[in-house]
Amino acid sequence: MARHKQIKTEEQEDPEMNISSMIDCCFLLLIYFLVATSLVSEKKLDISIPASTQSQSSQKPPVEPGRIVLRADGSVTWNGDMNVADVYNPDAQPGSAEYRAQRQLDQLVEQLKNYKDLASSVQSEPVVMLTGAPSAPHQRIVDIMAALAEAGIKSVGISTADPEGK
Amino acid sequence: MAKKNARGNDEVNGNVNLSPMIDCCFLLLIFFVVNATQITVAKDPSVKMPSAVSCSELKDANGCIVVNVFADVDKMSPKALEKYNKAYPPNSLWGVADANGNSIGYTTGQIQELTDFIKKQKESLKGRGIEDGKIRLYLRGDLDAPWERSSTAIRCAAAAGVTNIVFGTLPSK
Repeated sequence: MARHKQIKTEEQEDPEMNISSMIDCCFLLLIYFLVATSLVSEKKLDISIPASTQSQSSQKPPVEPGRIVLRADGSVTWNGDMNVADVYNPDAQPGSAEYRAQRQLDQLVEQLKNYKDLASSVQSEPVVMLTGAPSAPHQRIVDIMAALAEAGIKSVGISTADPEGK
Repeated sequence: MAKKNARGNDEVNGNVNLSPMIDCCFLLLIFFVVNATQITVAKDPSVKMPSAVSCSELKDANGCIVVNVFADVDKMSPKALEKYNKAYPPNSLWGVADANGNSIGYTTGQIQELTDFIKKQKESLKGRGIEDGKIRLYLRGDLDAPWERSSTAIRCAAAAGVTNIVFGTLPSK
């Protein structure tokens, strides 16, 4: 009788698993990733500069390269005479209309798209030469690169000559 | 008798149900593990990143040679200036990190050294089996840095045989 009772008691015990060490590990990992993760991730703008081996051909390209000139005041001209962006204001507040207008160089994008269509019509790759004033801010160059990316032009020649001849 | 009853109530074990908390922890853990893959290139806090409207995600940082281009010290925030002074020698215009993560600064008189560094990095990446076309210069230019500095870094990269350039940006607000 006594033996029967003992067996019944053992069967009724719930099996328990100790998960506290797993929770410890989870917390450690959670804290690690929380500290290591940066939610604002950097983005990119790709360009490729023509290598010296690419320019050995003596043949004239079917379409002349487009020319973008960035002046020290941040204004941008396309193909010499067309003003496509006004003087740059570095103090424009992020989120303001002026700031957005400065980031989106609509006129330049339009010209670049037209140029790309022209180059495509003669089965040529669109190439743009960018000349920037040495003192022009890097932000303005990134704005131009963004316009080139929007127009789908990836081949950009970078000239180190000062457009204002200083 | 009443005393005994009260004593019995004291001895009741209070169990806290941990399962919802563990569920939340797992969810957060998975979220951060997924996001952590976005950390791709070493970020120097001394550089104020420019923003761009048309930019894309940097999915693969393999083959990126990171060069930071600094603005003039008077345009840096006090916090950025403190980190810049701690990590780089005075008057450094370009900053890189070597294989051990040590910061190296280059001044205007050290353009050849910067070219050599990019060349060395390129050889090292090639040695790790990365194709030539995938080796890129990742230019982290400060938004206030003059173009002259960025173009010098691009010129150094071209001299070292790296012709693919990636401009580091943040999405525009």
